[in-house]
Amino acid sequence: MRYVIVGNGVAGITAAFTLRARDLRAEITVVSGESDYFFSRTALMYAYLDRMTLRDLEPYEREVYDVQRITRRRAWVRSLDTAQHRLTLDDGSALSYDRLLIASGSSPRRADWPGLADAQQGVVTFVSLQDLAQCEALTPSTRRAVVVGGGLIGVELVECLVHHGVEVEFLVREPSYWPVALKPDEALLVEEEIRAHGVDLRMREEVARVKVDAAGRVAGIQSSTGRATECQMLGVCIGAQPNVAWLGGALDVGRGVRVTSDFRASAPDVWAAGDCAEIGRILEQIWYSAKRQGELAARSMLGDDIDYRPPLFYNSAKFFELEYTTVGEVASAPSGSREYFHRVPGPRASVRVVEHEGAVVGFNMLGSRWNHRVLEQWVRERRSLEAAVADLPRAQFDVEFGRVRVTA
Amino acid sequence: MTKQGTAGWLLHDVKNRGITAWIVAALLTGFYIALYFTEAFARIARAVGLSNKWDLYGALYTIAVVAGGIHVIRKYAHNRYQVIRTVVVMIVQITLGFSIPQLLKVLRQPEYYFSYLWPLKLDYFNPGYLFSLPLPYILYSFAGSLLLVPILGLFFGKRWYCSWICGCGGLANTFGEPWRHLSDKSTAAWRFEKVAIHSVLIVTLALTGLLFASYGAGKRYPELQQATIQFQTFYGLIVSSVLAGIVGVGLYPLGGTRVWCRFFCPMAALLGLVQKAGRYRIAVKENMCISCGMCSKYCEMGIDVRAYAQANESFTRASCVGCGLCAEVCPRGVLRLENVRGAAPQTQMLVQITNAPGGGAFPPARPN
Ligand SMILES: Cc1cc2nc3c(=O)[nH]c(=O)nc-3n(C[C@H](O)[C@H](O)[C@H](O)COP(=O)(O)OP(=O)(O)OC[C@H]3O[C@@H](n4cnc5c(N)ncnc54)[C@H](O)[C@@H]3O)c2cc1C
Ligand code: SF4
Repeated sequence: MRYVIVGNGVAGITAAFTLRARDLRAEITVVSGESDYFFSRTALMYAYLDRMTLRDLEPYEREVYDVQRITRRRAWVRSLDTAQHRLTLDDGSALSYDRLLIASGSSPRRADWPGLADAQQGVVTFVSLQDLAQCEALTPSTRRAVVVGGGLIGVELVECLVHHGVEVEFLVREPSYWPVALKPDEALLVEEEIRAHGVDLRMREEVARVKVDAAGRVAGIQSSTGRATECQMLGVCIGAQPNVAWLGGALDVGRGVRVTSDFRASAPDVWAAGDCAEIGRILEQIWYSAKRQGELAARSMLGDDIDYRPPLFYNSAKFFELEYTTVGEVASAPSGSREYFHRVPGPRASVRVVEHEGAVVGFNMLGSRWNHRVLEQWVRERRSLEAAVADLPRAQFDVEFGRVRVTA
Repeated sequence: MTKQGTAGWLLHDVKNRGITAWIVAALLTGFYIALYFTEAFARIARAVGLSNKWDLYGALYTIAVVAGGIHVIRKYAHNRYQVIRTVVVMIVQITLGFSIPQLLKVLRQPEYYFSYLWPLKLDYFNPGYLFSLPLPYILYSFAGSLLLVPILGLFFGKRWYCSWICGCGGLANTFGEPWRHLSDKSTAAWRFEKVAIHSVLIVTLALTGLLFASYGAGKRYPELQQATIQFQTFYGLIVSSVLAGIVGVGLYPLGGTRVWCRFFCPMAALLGLVQKAGRYRIAVKENMCISCGMCSKYCEMGIDVRAYAQANESFTRASCVGCGLCAEVCPRGVLRLENVRGAAPQTQMLVQITNAPGGGAFPPARPN
């Protein structure tokens, strides 16, 4: 059996290992354009911060691919012919498969501000190794930067720039930080944390026009409030979109590759998983979902009977030093919910527990550590708000001696 | 890339095996060679009013621990485990590691370091020396090594000693902080570690046995006594001077801070075995790891923590000294040091979302 996987991200590599563990004779080939080896995209910022080398970002020792007999191919796939079971690569060669997994991930959403098209240099995104190289090349000649987009990647880019002594202006369109996940009182903590690091964070402000110097490098922007500001780098972090353009019309594509609950795409012998897959209208675009989907898609390719339903949502992040854990529905909780919110006095920390119709449905925790598995358990048990709040210390995961007092 | 500006360059260079790191390593190594094999420091010691070069070394060592400790406390001020641990390390070094032995000397008592125990400190189980001490010291030596070490090790892991009390670990975790990430994480290094550290332990045990035999029967068998003295000299040169001093500290800027502790220390070897049987472990929060690698990078013992974290395996490694830095640097709060009863493996590996047999099949990145 010849398995081919497009994309060596966490979805693709997890799938490859899963296939190998169950099928010792299979030929497994992973094709990817960005890098020779699987690396941790989530750790890009630590490379930019000088805390790790590029090699440190690779989660496995390189020998593992030989030991597991996984053939790596560095190339961009240009097109897919589902009838012939064949891919065409950018060097013109063809690659045939018996079963194909598309795990091509996502890439940054582009902006279309006036003037942006004239900028040949200085506009950056922060998703790929190539983006990182570009950021690093531009940093020494950058005194001031503007970063746009109030999500998780924007704040990572901001932190890196601050570390390198760049003055940063951070523009966020929404009235409070990351409203899809944080309520305004929580967003306030995040905004405080960002500002405490010397960042000029401006809410309700967007880019109206990009200014470029004679050499074609970004020289500044004009914001939606009419304010003009100078900058040598412009970071665009306004979301991600699945990498599906290369598929042409070969598969049924919505926002991502449409798959059924067993990860099968619209053509025979083709599966999709990770950031690029759209399952029942849902795009789950985080590390954990990509890893989970990669494993399950591989099992589906091996003939297991898979019926995937996205499990209870959880995630974690870090805004500068402020740690964040979330489980279930908080900002998206239905109206009529009851909640417990406590802003811990002293350190920048808060807890929020949300209950709907007598059962807890979500948690938003800032500034302390939590075992999300315990919180998930409470949601599954349909605990009441009071019972959950009373038991909170049991779900804490702070360091020894360091437990944050989270209830009044 | 490196942080901008001259200061930024220097900081990056000295921490990442640049030219300045080599210079610092050369200076440190030179210092140890001069200390062990010449009397150059004896004069300086007398000039500052200390009785010999070892007292001078003790004073410098204490200054390094305190200065590094202050830096570490400021750096990790938000982490109470790090703050408390570092304060303890500094206090132990100032008192048990320096001023109390000095005071004992003044009081015409033996210069005894209560923070060092056999098998790290071979002398304290060398009957020729040990039985020359007053009874309380003899009792402390035995109780410390034979009761305190294994019992606390079972309850708290080796960290109670290696990261809270021991001066070698103390120096590594304070003065050595800028170089902790240089430890070798390869499987090859792990293989070498297992052979090397247990070999030193065996040699130490053998020598201890010989010392007792020669103490008991040395008068009747002068050859035995002769051989023991030779063995002891050899051990002092290779293990105490070369491995603990020159390689262990001199090469901080090139090989990382715990080279001695990881590859050679007989105490660490013994405590590692105890730790494997005890309650200490690093708990891994399930399915929360983003494989970023910060934990592995900053592990001074070269443990590939990420390999366990991304496979959702709570674990106890013999070499882990429980410094807690993996938990500190992890951006997703995945790790926590714990003392728990029983091995307590994590249950319910993956939410059951399919009806297929099999389940999570990941190749562990490394043999276990
Ligand atoms: C800076 C940053 C930080 C993040 N931090 C977090 C976090 O903390 N937590 C979290 O849960 N998620 C985080 N994410 C999201 C997470 O990284 C992604 O959800 C995850 O990497 C998706 O994995 P994947 O395997 O689906 O795709 P990807 O990792 O995107 O891999 C896809 C691969 O396919 C290759 N490819 C694409 N098209 C082609 C083609 N035509 N031919 C050949 N190869 C192709 C690409 O080169 C790429 O290497 C972060 C993302 C970024 C960018
Ligand atoms: S530091 Fe945390 S998230 Fe990163 S690899 Fe280690 S355990 Fe995983």
